[in-house]
Amino acid sequence: MKKLLKIELKKILSYKIFWILFGLYFIFLILGLLMAEFMINNMIDNMNKQIPLLLPHVNIYFFPDVWQNIAFFATIRYVLIFPAIVIIILITNEFTFKTIRQGVINGMSKLEFLCSKLYIIILSSIIITFFLGIGSLIIGLSHTSGTTLEMVFEKIPFLLGFFITILTFQIYAFFFGFIFRNTGLSIALFTLYTLIIEPIVYYFLKSPLVFKNNISPYLPVNSALRITEYPAIPVLKKIMGLNLQDGISFTTSVIPLLYAAIMIGIVFWVIEKKDL
Amino acid sequence: METVLSIDRLSKKYGKIQAVKTLSLEVQKGQIFGLLGPNGSGKTTTLSVILDLVKADNGSFQWFGSTPSKESRKRIGSVIESPNFFPYLNPVKNLEIVAEIKGLDYSDIKRVLTLTGLFERKKSKFKTFSFGMKQRLAIASALLGHPEILILDEPTNGLDPQGIAHIRELILKIAGEGTTIILASHLLDEVQKICSHVAVLNKGTKLFDGEVSEVLAISNSFELSSSSMEELQKAIRNFPGYKSHTSTVNLINVSFNKEVKPEDLNEFCFRHGIILTHLSERKRSLEQHFLELLQENQ
Repeated sequence: MKKLLKIELKKILSYKIFWILFGLYFIFLILGLLMAEFMINNMIDNMNKQIPLLLPHVNIYFFPDVWQNIAFFATIRYVLIFPAIVIIILITNEFTFKTIRQGVINGMSKLEFLCSKLYIIILSSIIITFFLGIGSLIIGLSHTSGTTLEMVFEKIPFLLGFFITILTFQIYAFFFGFIFRNTGLSIALFTLYTLIIEPIVYYFLKSPLVFKNNISPYLPVNSALRITEYPAIPVLKKIMGLNLQDGISFTTSVIPLLYAAIMIGIVFWVIEKKDL
Repeated sequence: METVLSIDRLSKKYGKIQAVKTLSLEVQKGQIFGLLGPNGSGKTTTLSVILDLVKADNGSFQWFGSTPSKESRKRIGSVIESPNFFPYLNPVKNLEIVAEIKGLDYSDIKRVLTLTGLFERKKSKFKTFSFGMKQRLAIASALLGHPEILILDEPTNGLDPQGIAHIRELILKIAGEGTTIILASHLLDEVQKICSHVAVLNKGTKLFDGEVSEVLAISNSFELSSSSMEELQKAIRNFPGYKSHTSTVNLINVSFNKEVKPEDLNEFCFRHGIILTHLSERKRSLEQHFLELLQENQ
């Protein structure tokens, strides 16, 4: 495992496009998270102009809710596709440059090759989660006065939820990259599926005319996003009808992991079967 | 003799196209084995199968007398088709990746870069290389860690004459150190100059294999001349193994179906009362043999 990670890091660390995309991701993430409160309050101000009952401004950055709120805003699908696209590029590059062939010629097995990419996905998920955790801690500490240790870490399980979401999302990307092999095609189809196709299917399945039981929450992308389904902002319930959520649930978290496991299985099977 | 590679009745189809058809081959340790054939004759497919890039439909192969594995591939250095490297990495980083995969340390990188004349460009990114330099880097990568077998698919493709001469010299030098070499090429000249053994492929089928010197030695064509050309033309038809002849005013060119020794021919003519004024053996080049083989199998 150490050897495979070393090889992967050699490929990545000198890759300018990787740093640019990852840098952009972090910039957007930080800006987005810092602007979230401002934007919600802006929305409240606009509403207050139209209704007589004044709604109070929200503060989303205090402990312990900051964990949940940041996990929620960081797992918006428009933000999540950034690191996923980086993963697609890293995988499809191997086909474009034919370096996967060269790797096999030089004595790598196809299995090792897939594992090396999975290790990178796990590593990058850990790194992103780590930075998000540090960020949440700093934001939380600067917005909360008189905290106890218990209060600070009460909702930290949401950070684990974020980790599962970003991990499975990148594994979905891994799946698209290995199945379609072409950078442009994989990115286009992944983006199309995540941002357009699944939301359409979601609303279609939601209709009681289609299925008696609503299965739409169990779609792959939606099930990954559902781990942190709602932010801890009570006023949004009034405005947008968003429910409240106390913590992350085990069953909800397992579903996307199951999808990820199935996709890894399919990729293993296809790669073993198909010529390089 | 130690067999390093044996291929047994290998077949591979791409859709309707039969790329390789029941191909059997054996390569012994220390040989410079040429795989010769026109474009699309199945050379690269064969190499792709024995390097586990492509799954064969039928047949099997063995490296070093055992079932192939990733460990056996680590003992082989290969250049297949185009040079495949990360364009944004310099040659040293690219070779470090190869060294990691093969479990070698980095100390050999300087040697192979110097050997292929790329050491001065060690800091340039791969994408800035000319095609010839890319090809040389592929060869450098194949040489990393002194592999027991070197597989080269069209190694001089895209090189200038100087580069071609340099690479051929390099191949012979490496072969001199005892490395077994498998060289695929559509250039007869190249095979003739470098290889000790050759297998000729066409449309996925093996037409012939043997020693290059053996192929060259089959002499069954002669130039003859005599004071009585008419009688010579008549008599020569009765020589066992006669195939055909062409004649000019004072020279006839006769070919036979089997190997003929010049002394037998001379004696035969003498017995028939013909004094030869000219007898010359026409050694066929590998090229002629190759073209004949292709023609016979059309």
